[in-house]
Amino acid sequence: MRWAACLFVLFLAAAADAAPARPLDELAIGITQYPATLNPVIDSMAAKSYVLGFVRRPLTTFDAQWQLVCMLCVEPPSFENGLAQKLDLPGGKTGVRLTYTLRPDARWADGAPVTTADVIFSYRVGKDPKTGVAAAELYRRITSIQAKDDKTFTMDVDKLTFDYAAANDFEILPAAAEEAAFADSASYRIRTRYDVDPTDPRLYDGPYRIAEVAPGSYIVLERNPYWAGPQPYFRRVTVWAVENTAALEANLLAHGIDMVAGELGFSLDEALAFEHRHGRDFHVVYKPGLTYEHVDLDLDNPILADRRVRQALLYAVDRKAISDELFAGRDPVADSFVPPLDWIYTDEVQRYPYDPGKARTLLEAAGWHADGTAPRRNDKGERLSLELATTAGNRTRELVEEVLQSQWREVGIEARLKNQPARVLFGQTVTHRQFDMAMFAWISAPENVPRSTMRSDEIPSAANGWSGENYPGLRSEAADTLIDAIEVELDRGRRAELWHRLERLYADELPALPLYFRAEAYVLPPWLEGVTPTGHQYPSTLWAETWRRAAPSQ
Amino acid sequence: MTRFIVLRLAQMAAVLAVMSLVIYALIGLMAGDPIDVMIASNPHLTAADAARLKALYGLDRPLLERYLAWAQAALHGDFGYSRLYMKPAFEVMAPRLANTAILMGASFVLALGMALPLGIAASRKPGSAFDGCVNLLAFAFISVPSFWLALMLILVFAVSLGLLPAGGIATVGDGGVLDRLQHLVLPVATLTLASMGGHLRYVRAAMIETLGQDYIRTARAKGAGELRVLLGHALRNALIPVITVAALSFGSLFSGALVTETMFAYPGMGKLIYDAVLGNDYNLALAGLLLATAMTLVANLGADIAYAAVDPRIGQR
Amino acid sequence: MSAELVLARTAPWRRKRLLLPALVLAVLALAVVLGPALIGPAGALVDLRHRLALPSLAHPLGTDALGRDLLLRLLLGGRVSLLVGIVAALAAAGLGTAIGLVSGYRGGRVDALLMRLTDGVIALPLLPLLVVLAALDPAKLGLGFLARSEDASLYRIVVLVALVGWTTVARLVRGATLSLKAQEFVRAAVAMGARPLRIMVVHILPNLASPIIVATTLSVGEIILLESVLSFLGLGVAPPLASWGNMLTGAQETIALAPQLALYPGLLILFTVVACNFLGDGLQQALDPRARRE
Repeated sequence: MRWAACLFVLFLAAAADAAPARPLDELAIGITQYPATLNPVIDSMAAKSYVLGFVRRPLTTFDAQWQLVCMLCVEPPSFENGLAQKLDLPGGKTGVRLTYTLRPDARWADGAPVTTADVIFSYRVGKDPKTGVAAAELYRRITSIQAKDDKTFTMDVDKLTFDYAAANDFEILPAAAEEAAFADSASYRIRTRYDVDPTDPRLYDGPYRIAEVAPGSYIVLERNPYWAGPQPYFRRVTVWAVENTAALEANLLAHGIDMVAGELGFSLDEALAFEHRHGRDFHVVYKPGLTYEHVDLDLDNPILADRRVRQALLYAVDRKAISDELFAGRDPVADSFVPPLDWIYTDEVQRYPYDPGKARTLLEAAGWHADGTAPRRNDKGERLSLELATTAGNRTRELVEEVLQSQWREVGIEARLKNQPARVLFGQTVTHRQFDMAMFAWISAPENVPRSTMRSDEIPSAANGWSGENYPGLRSEAADTLIDAIEVELDRGRRAELWHRLERLYADELPALPLYFRAEAYVLPPWLEGVTPTGHQYPSTLWAETWRRAAPSQ
Repeated sequence: MTRFIVLRLAQMAAVLAVMSLVIYALIGLMAGDPIDVMIASNPHLTAADAARLKALYGLDRPLLERYLAWAQAALHGDFGYSRLYMKPAFEVMAPRLANTAILMGASFVLALGMALPLGIAASRKPGSAFDGCVNLLAFAFISVPSFWLALMLILVFAVSLGLLPAGGIATVGDGGVLDRLQHLVLPVATLTLASMGGHLRYVRAAMIETLGQDYIRTARAKGAGELRVLLGHALRNALIPVITVAALSFGSLFSGALVTETMFAYPGMGKLIYDAVLGNDYNLALAGLLLATAMTLVANLGADIAYAAVDPRIGQR
Repeated sequence: MSAELVLARTAPWRRKRLLLPALVLAVLALAVVLGPALIGPAGALVDLRHRLALPSLAHPLGTDALGRDLLLRLLLGGRVSLLVGIVAALAAAGLGTAIGLVSGYRGGRVDALLMRLTDGVIALPLLPLLVVLAALDPAKLGLGFLARSEDASLYRIVVLVALVGWTTVARLVRGATLSLKAQEFVRAAVAMGARPLRIMVVHILPNLASPIIVATTLSVGEIILLESVLSFLGLGVAPPLASWGNMLTGAQETIALAPQLALYPGLLILFTVVACNFLGDGLQQALDPRARRE
């Protein structure tokens, strides 16, 4: 019996040490979610943009310094270089005509060049309402695209906005590969070759192409032989989807994977705990970002319609303590929807430091009396009770919820927790405005105009087919005017001033309770160089060709 | 005997049909719009197809009609497409079924393998200190929450000692036999310990009852060796209730597997059902639950047949 | 058979076996009922500056992930777990008694059908089914108003558990009914022309007290386990209400940092269920006239 036990322990020890030796030019990455689809224009998902960042290049994008750069184009159009021209449109409006030239060496992974035919095809796909693209507004604004030759085209946009040159979300689809799938536009999203046969080389124009796919499990990327940019160091990259973060950590320690992506990997507290235990063997990088964690408030709810109540809700919560204690201070507290790293940020807005006394005063003034019963009641005997919803299964959010609930209870506000799976929360509850308070996050881009989240004509309703993202239901003429003005203001100085005014309005009106901006944690092996977190929605993989193994001189 | 089997098979089919209707109705009551989801994820559908199916399955049709339409497809092996995996639901289930089978099979064999000798040994001296220990152990294993047991095992073996992995089926990129075995140790241990208690109690109780019988005393009086008495006479008769109980515990073994798979991120049927329900993947949840029920019914049938085969008193009905 | 009679007729060594688990449960019940008042409400407040603290005078067992006193949370969780256990067990007992009584008294086809139903429920893979049941949308059942109440998760878990926990009671009650049916006083009532319902309720039911008590006690343990696993999976008692099960929900992620958060709630479940099982087992042996000596 004893020798059997000995043998068993020996076998365990042996197996524990058996790490698969990987060739030096291969990289294994762990992420926590497998993309539901690989088609660039259907559904926006962090997992999908992460993987596609390796294999596709957008026309333009924001880099790690939050500056606009060209990827597939030669030069971003501007009035200075003559590639942008004002267009006078009927009704006294001003549009803009942009000229883009595709890089002459841009090619799909089968060798065929990326041409304006692909651009025109992509425009057709995006414009067709039956396709159901995620960024419908973008295509709505483009009134026409004309090809000048194989590589140069003009794009007419119905409005001259300050970010006119940014065509970040205009995905160029390969006409040759996708034409057949698009024959019936309503079923394009199911027949797209990106999902039916993702290893088709014609789909990719980046430094890598997808070589092998195991749905739900992993995706293997290999170098694109026709990539004209700098040759990527890693010949083969495998992206593993490991849903369970404990398993992710185990695989990291067993060298099954080399790194964990910050875009969707460990949550901040998991990363902190990991660094605490294994900080010597791994390099943990924290990048503060643009993920705006907040609580949308239903402004049509009679309790929340009163601004004093909304302010009281915010005063009653110690957001600094939450950030300090739960996130080691790495998530900066938010005062409005603009993050401190964005150049248009101003800190001269109404602040709401933790002050339960003030919260109580405001609630009393709003007619909610603390007469010994919990929660407070108004003169009609109604209770100050609201529902708080967030994504179920997200441990961090559930913890924060309990903190909020507890701190609100101290000032006499009752919050009933109602968590739902993400699909239901975003697919129904929030879209159909069936909530009192909803806690979730917006991921966005630098200087992102909150048109769909704050304009009064973007409130989802049955009448407009539930489109729009102004879930709180903010109806503010001042906000509408500011948003419209910001969009078309080309002068940076004047635009900054407008932004500041909008931020002040947001902090005064509080259509949502700003919580904090989430930082992302990247766990990297010490020998990996070049991975540069961006902090916004465009992933670090867009520069994957610069990733390399450090020279062994240490 | 054949008549008996045929009768039982017919009963099983009937029960399965009823259960499938019940489960179909239940799935329809989950949040969200089931019909849209069920037909939308199929890549081979044309727009005309989708419209036709929507009319066929639509929520405005009476439940029975919808169910019959679905059942017809299911009988041809078409369980619809899984929206979570973008594959036919059946294709998603097949490998997971194999994983769960390994988990449940190993645990079942080990649990019975440990319960039998312990139970037999304890039954020889009822009331003794050893017997008391075994009894206490059995009670403890019956009473322990299996997910907590998993947590404790993870705490000791994975976190503190670092000997075994805390989850997954294999290290990514490895997947060799040794690696897979290593990942199986904790999940199998959890499920085995959790299901062992019941088996232990039944073996012990059945053996005690049998050992008190007259024919045992007769055998002993005739000078038969202790081992022969125990294994030859008592065990054979005690096995009858033990086999049936063991086979009937399939249902609870599956439930235990669901918890174990979720704790260890082990890609099996139980976790699949759980993920499907939480992810609003109606087709997958429906197919998975039905499969689990069908397997349980088959196990029951097996138990009935085994019982009839082993116990001569039953066959003549 | 009354309780006093039971104890009087029980051999001394058996009495000890009954008393120990009963004592454990009584102490537990007392602790969860009175304990929180003794500790004071301050311990329930979130205190972010003192998360995952080690045991101290102020917090005898330390604090949890949000700085709340762990001992207080365990006691409050105990309240919910025990309450759900008892209420659900009673509900299940009610259902099971009805089924077992009708089945045993009627006999024949009704009995066969009900027993096959019982066997079916016992053999089903319960957890997957419960996962689906827990995911049902109450609004679709016309019970939307219930879903909006704060204790919605409590109602749901009691109903779910009672729906599947009645089988033990049903079986034992059926067995007892069968033997009671043959007794003199029942046959007399039948002869006098009493209606079946009256016989069942007035004559048989009162004599079912013992089997019902035994069966209910035996099922409490199973019910507590069921509630804890459902709450653990997030489908049972929902935060901020604490139950021993949902206190373990996040424990896996913090297991390296704070193993005590995973240890205590599970230990409490274990002890409670073991005590319930021992008690039920002891009662069964005490009350079953055919119990063999060991």
